Amino acid sequence: MLFFITRRLILTVFLLLLVSMITFAIFFLVPRLAGQNAYELAAQYVGRNPTPGAIKAVEIKLGLNDPLYLQYGRYIKGIVAGIHYNNGPDVSYCPFPCFGYSFRNDQPVWPQLISDAPVTLSIAIGAAVLWLIGGVAIGVLSALRRGSFFDRLSMGIALAGVSLPVFFTGLVSLELFSYKWAIFPNVHYVGITTNPLLWARNLVLPWLTLAFLYAALYARLTRAGMLETMGEDYIRTARAKGLPERRVVLKHGLRAALTPIVTIFGLDLGLLLGGAILTETTFSMPGLGQFTILAIQNQDLPEIMGVVMIASFFIVIANMIVDIMYAVVDPRVRF
Amino acid sequence: MAVPIDVATGPGGPEPVAPLPIPGKAIEGRSLGRIAWMRLRRDKVAMGGGVVVVLLILTAIIGPHVVQNPDTYNANLINPTFLRPNGAFGGISLAHPLGVEPETGRDLLARIVVGAQYSLLIAFLSTCLAVGIGTFFGVVAGYFGGWIDSIIARAMDLFLAFPLLVFALALAGVIPSSAFGLSGNALRIAVLIFVIGFFNWPYMGRIIRGQTLSLREREFVDAARSLGARAPYVLFRELLPNLVAPILVYATLLMPTNILFEAALDYLGVGLYVPTPTWGQMLASAVQNGYYYIDPEFMLVPGLTIFITVMAFNLFGDGLRDALDPKTR
Amino acid sequence: MKRRSIFAATALGAMAALLISACSSGGSSSSSGSTPGSTTAAVAFNAGLNSVVNPSSQKGGTLTFDNSSTPDSFDPGNTYYAWVLNFDRLFAMPLFTYKSCPGTCGLQLVPDLATDMGTTSDNGLTWTFHIQSDVKFEDGTTVTSQDVKYAIERTYDRSVMANGPTYYQVLLKDPTYPGPYKDRAKNLMGLTSVQTPNATTIVFNLQAPFPDFPYVLAFPNTAPVPPAKDTGTNYQLHPMSTGPYKFQSYQLNKQLVLVPNTEWNPATDPNAKQLPSKIIMNLNVNQADIDNRLLAGDIQVDSAGTGVAAAAQAKILSNPTLKADSDDPYTGFAFFAYLNTKVAPMNNVHCREAVEYAVNKVNTQTAYGGPYAGGAIASTVMPPNIVGYKKFDLYNALTQSTGDVTAAKQQLAMCGQPNGFTTNLAYRSDRPKETAAATAIQASLALVGIKATLKGYPAGSYYTDFAGAPAYVHSHDIGIAMGGWGADWPDGFGFLDELSAGNTIAPTGNTNIEELNDPVVNNMFKQSNSQTATANQALWPQIDEQIMKDAGILPLIYAKALLYRPTNLTNVYVQAYYGMFNYAVLGVQS
Repeated sequence: MLFFITRRLILTVFLLLLVSMITFAIFFLVPRLAGQNAYELAAQYVGRNPTPGAIKAVEIKLGLNDPLYLQYGRYIKGIVAGIHYNNGPDVSYCPFPCFGYSFRNDQPVWPQLISDAPVTLSIAIGAAVLWLIGGVAIGVLSALRRGSFFDRLSMGIALAGVSLPVFFTGLVSLELFSYKWAIFPNVHYVGITTNPLLWARNLVLPWLTLAFLYAALYARLTRAGMLETMGEDYIRTARAKGLPERRVVLKHGLRAALTPIVTIFGLDLGLLLGGAILTETTFSMPGLGQFTILAIQNQDLPEIMGVVMIASFFIVIANMIVDIMYAVVDPRVRF
Repeated sequence: MAVPIDVATGPGGPEPVAPLPIPGKAIEGRSLGRIAWMRLRRDKVAMGGGVVVVLLILTAIIGPHVVQNPDTYNANLINPTFLRPNGAFGGISLAHPLGVEPETGRDLLARIVVGAQYSLLIAFLSTCLAVGIGTFFGVVAGYFGGWIDSIIARAMDLFLAFPLLVFALALAGVIPSSAFGLSGNALRIAVLIFVIGFFNWPYMGRIIRGQTLSLREREFVDAARSLGARAPYVLFRELLPNLVAPILVYATLLMPTNILFEAALDYLGVGLYVPTPTWGQMLASAVQNGYYYIDPEFMLVPGLTIFITVMAFNLFGDGLRDALDPKTR
Repeated sequence: MKRRSIFAATALGAMAALLISACSSGGSSSSSGSTPGSTTAAVAFNAGLNSVVNPSSQKGGTLTFDNSSTPDSFDPGNTYYAWVLNFDRLFAMPLFTYKSCPGTCGLQLVPDLATDMGTTSDNGLTWTFHIQSDVKFEDGTTVTSQDVKYAIERTYDRSVMANGPTYYQVLLKDPTYPGPYKDRAKNLMGLTSVQTPNATTIVFNLQAPFPDFPYVLAFPNTAPVPPAKDTGTNYQLHPMSTGPYKFQSYQLNKQLVLVPNTEWNPATDPNAKQLPSKIIMNLNVNQADIDNRLLAGDIQVDSAGTGVAAAAQAKILSNPTLKADSDDPYTGFAFFAYLNTKVAPMNNVHCREAVEYAVNKVNTQTAYGGPYAGGAIASTVMPPNIVGYKKFDLYNALTQSTGDVTAAKQQLAMCGQPNGFTTNLAYRSDRPKETAAATAIQASLALVGIKATLKGYPAGSYYTDFAGAPAYVHSHDIGIAMGGWGADWPDGFGFLDELSAGNTIAPTGNTNIEELNDPVVNNMFKQSNSQTATANQALWPQIDEQIMKDAGILPLIYAKALLYRPTNLTNVYVQAYYGMFNYAVLGVQS
């Protein structure tokens, strides 16, 4: 078992390294393949009406004229060993893990990622709890009452849920519940340590918007999985043995149907932790998603790299946890 | 965003139905495809979805040549103080059946129709790309197994490790306005198709791999091999035709995801360049400029259009899947 | 079987649609926006343009600003954004500033840290200023002229200070000074063109006479910086304050909190006030949120100063109470189209005049946002809130604002293109208003036979690679290019020089996009360098008129912004140069 986990960990690190290499290469090469040179790139990071000397100075400071492997090497070395950075009068040191300095405001990227992460975590985990419980429950009930009014209604709403874009649902809910009827006025992020009640209250709309989309998905998936499992022979055997219906459904039926659900949950949560971009933009929550948008608008490469790495990290870790859980549950998997 | 795919699918297709004897008529065996088609036809709702899909495709192909110019600026239809379209419901009139845009007075129907063209084109081509790459690698991985399978599975893991939306955003934002011989919207479209399609292939790959794994144990594969068939023949002549069903189903189910994805990229401002009408960009402008207050139709029309399009594909895809595998009805 | 589930789904969509359209039809007066407990009398629309609204010396309360994005930097030496220049006066005292008063009074340049307007010698090549002797930093140390010299020196290192204005390198001798971070010589006082003979005197040596030099010193980069406390790129996190407020905390991209600076002496700084007991600035807030919070009284100022968005605009303009609480000032920006003087057939002045006559300026005004949020139809290059503005109208922009087709066709005949011609029209495609205006121009030109093909470019590289690169403009036949302009200081030189002087044409980042090289204009600028600023006031309108005679620029609108002032905001008026409320004197009723 331990051997299996160690193998997965090593694979994970290797995967992250590969992701960082590919991402860096793409963001590095693309503008150059398109014909932009380092000087033109540097011009984006200077203010209005810059002199050629200013652009050149920035180009050198950001190391934009160095070859790819050198820039990448510096980047990885920075993450592992920290970077010494010339801030003008002295040299400042940014310790491990140092994701570099923003091209725009020369401030270290990692502290900014850290301060934005709690917002994304609040949104993602809160919504995840809601959608998992809600979606699975509705899916199970629909499968059991197959063909009933409840089944058709819930599957209809679920269909709407997966067909509506999340930013549209968010906008409509903002307009109705925040601007029109001030049930949730002034939606903005408040830290959980500052005021837990306000924190939760301001997050209700983002949670519901996200959860609506995913719960719909999970309800459909659970229902499909349950229908398949409930048709199996061993369910009939369990019933024939005289087990109470609830036990049959939950312990035997749902347990088997949950496997694909758990896989997808892991993937979805991992993706969401990297930045619920659409939700955060709609509700103007200052999380990793909004950070991504701003970084892209500013063409701020270290910030973009930082956020892509963090997002990849969450996805890969989520995958690893799911795989380990599989191995725990099903010994055949641990080869 | 996860694709609504069933990870667990049953092997093969639906069970054959024994034909009933009808006096005077020769007994005809029904092929699997025929049976599936009949089942699909009976599902009225899925057929409805299919009809809408066909209508949308026709609109996207023919529509832009029929409607008026989506860029024509009609300042006379706008109240200059409030920037709101004159007339009720966002300026609906005979000349402008869906009303006009606030501030610019551009015809909303025309913009929706031209937007449909872009949305469907990008979604379709990126789906083709994902399906193409995914099927190829899925079949190869499933059939050969061993170390080939390992490598491909690792590659799938790698691609799944990329945060898709973040990556697409960043890439679309970084690409300058002209590169690789293309420029402007042509370049953007190419980038979007590439990113959406290329990073989505593991979803198809995994499913096709699963299907291939079960198919390769079937007798017809053994039969072909014992006749001396080489791998390419088995792959393309024996396995692939049997994979058409799941490929079709999941391609149809991948379309709505890609439509939503492309709309999201437009909404965030990294889709097609601004004067081009796209549904996501119309929603974005409704929000940023606060148009939703003075002209709610301007927000509702593109939003509901996306909704209807996606739902139609979902319904049809669901119906298709049910027709091929009735257990999950 | 799934029929009913479809009805459920569509019912959901339809319900939402009905709810929204029924409830939010524009024009209904929902919130009135007045905060409970306010006892101010109703003030009129645009009262803040020429008078102080809610004058008060009451201290206390928390003044909250919101902004939809971030500053380029809160380091006074590293910023170029208009609202930041306004806001910086709360914690940075430059040598000169604009007088804090409403109306055109606010265009006056007055000494701030300096004691007077300075003296010139050596035929205008040397400027001598004295600074006040009892101004202190927030830590109690007295400000000396060396701190001012250091503040200017540090802007020379563009690798650290990439954003601010670049006038010193161009105007002063010793342009190759590398900055104090690289040149640690002479106790960090290595810039030879600036001398500090004693603690309260500072002397500048210019390369050529420049009567507008005091305007250059009104930027916050002349606010003193103590060399010992300079932390380079980290200085933006906590600059040493010489103004009424100092930094308490700054969460990058999120929130800035200012508290009163106890070392500030109001007698040294009559242009600022220290009223609120706390000032908060929230960054990266959604514009729709900002507008809603403003109307509800939750915040006091939208610091970007570009006005409310369409939804709030509709609410304000349709409700007389709300309208009375708003101002619609000129922002100091003008939007226009450059008519290139080198690209055929636009190189013929009559073809350009045809364009001037033909364009429907009402449509372009609506494109930019209408008369309130867009601006007033323009007939001159300089907007009315610039010293030297004179009203004239050579192409019937004000009398025949929908376009004068007859006159246009006459001009076309005169330039030898009676049936019109083709050219390309460049614009920034990620700016919706500019896109709409370009489309409107294209439509009105088509009516006289001029076929303009729209060419959109991204705003980020518009000036560096496309419209601002004459080689690109020539090779791509761009006869018309959209643009906008705001002056670095409110006089004719600040507004017109970079737009029209022959010697400002540059291969990249070109601001004289029409490539005007008219000897008459060039000579007038040369003349302005040897006269005093006051004498030049008569010169600017002549330059403006000559540019219009040359039809180098097609003025579209003088930009305006619809600003809302919540009733609990005190001492609020529009500072004419910034075109926004004067942030240095605001108070809040608690």
